Amino acid sequence: MKVEMKVDYYPGETGEFIKVDEEKCTGCGDCAKFCTRNVWVKDGEIYRPKNLKECAECGACWNICEFDAVIFGEPKGGTGIRFEYG
Amino acid sequence: MGNYQYDIIVVGAGCAGPAAAKKAAELGLKVLLLEKSQKPGEKNVSGTCLNMAALVDPDLQYLMKGPIEREITEMHSFMISPERTTMFREIPGEGLILLSVRRDEFDAWHTEQAKKAGAEVKLSTTIVDIIEEDGTVKGVITDSGDKYFGKVIIDAAGVNSIVGRKAGLIPKRKGTNMILYTILNVWLGEEKVTERFGNSIYYFLAPNCQYKTWPWIFPKKEVVTIGTGGYMDENLFNGDIKSVNDYMQNLIDLPIIKEKLEGGRVEAWGLHLEFDQSIEKRTKAGLILTGEAGGFVIPFLGEGMPEAFFTGIYAAEAAAKAIEANDFSEEFLEEHFMGRYNENVFLQSFRYVADMNKQSILSMPDEEIIAMMQNICIGGGFISSAIHRNWMKGADEDDMSLVQDAKDFYEFIQPYRQVGSESLEIYKKMRAEK
Repeated sequence: MKVEMKVDYYPGETGEFIKVDEEKCTGCGDCAKFCTRNVWVKDGEIYRPKNLKECAECGACWNICEFDAVIFGEPKGGTGIRFEYG
Repeated sequence: MGNYQYDIIVVGAGCAGPAAAKKAAELGLKVLLLEKSQKPGEKNVSGTCLNMAALVDPDLQYLMKGPIEREITEMHSFMISPERTTMFREIPGEGLILLSVRRDEFDAWHTEQAKKAGAEVKLSTTIVDIIEEDGTVKGVITDSGDKYFGKVIIDAAGVNSIVGRKAGLIPKRKGTNMILYTILNVWLGEEKVTERFGNSIYYFLAPNCQYKTWPWIFPKKEVVTIGTGGYMDENLFNGDIKSVNDYMQNLIDLPIIKEKLEGGRVEAWGLHLEFDQSIEKRTKAGLILTGEAGGFVIPFLGEGMPEAFFTGIYAAEAAAKAIEANDFSEEFLEEHFMGRYNENVFLQSFRYVADMNKQSILSMPDEEIIAMMQNICIGGGFISSAIHRNWMKGADEDDMSLVQDAKDFYEFIQPYRQVGSESLEIYKKMRAEK
């Protein structure tokens, strides 16, 4: 059996609930390293949450960032990831 | 955009939120429970086993009436090395150990109980900010711009809570004290789950399957839930391990697990983060942090849900007292909230063990952690092991105060240790009343 990241999403626009603080980002890449869903992508000198629609909303990027460069909010009410079984 | 006034605003309908809202409504307060998902529990990922040692507390017994997936009576631990597999089987007493649940069902049921008690519930609502006046938290602002004011705000919004962060109580973390878990639900059907897993939970320790924690399998009715992960330090991902999914793949490839999952299919996957350090302050004028938002969780032991239920209830009680006394100061809330917390035998037992383990886990090399885990398995569980270690440390260092601490704690937890067959009686009674 292969591990398969089977998740659902509620329909609807989540809004840009994760952003990078361009001034603070040093490009260290910890956000990308600790993101299981490949949300963070290198863009020149810094990283950006380009695949936000893949986000599982765990908060690893926000918690790991030493430089406080991850601005981490929550999707609009009733949107974003939906887990079955919990 | 409107302004609304309540006695109590509870943010988050996970474990702590509905418990708080239900209790507040029962105490006659006008309470609003806000939740970001469309259905409570659909944004939660957890171990999903409720500890009976906590549920027998009169405050929590009603939870036994909820949607239960499986009654757990046994525990198996496996130590797997390239050379050998060692198994420990434990059947503690005649009572139930755990109740496994689906959070998407259980949290929704629990929210319904809060509603029946008189709480108002608003789903699909994300909180974007708090309203603060002169250092007192007065309300919350939603993503649609509505303002909800409460005499006391109860934050039950989990590990990354916006409320606790905006109020300055949830600190900026560093990865080393966070645990990242991944969870896989494998559908097998009720017959196969019963035949292959029975009513037992399973813990494993095997090379490259976890990092400073334990993988586990908890059976539900038709699926089994598998969890693994590790502390988020620089060694979590090394060599072939690029993500927590690699730990999971190695785990389900272990022959002993592989054969049990034969013919199954991945039904759902999830990620979960836990903060393994207590938060310094859980209250601020007008605000109480409960559950994971307040750091009431012990990731290494896999305990978080009972802490959330208890702290939710205690927050509602403290809020009711504050309203009665018309005193919403941090000191008043702290005294009445943490006062109850500190008297709770179950919570203190887990806190004692966690405090013992925390420093050692974070500083120990892997081999020593595995040795410690083995000792815990052989030596009769976490609590006995912690008492024993404290006692022996005192004896070794000739420090009688440590021995006395261990002795005092042993006395303190006697009520917890005596929970046995009567838990089954209480459970039967609650199920009959359902």
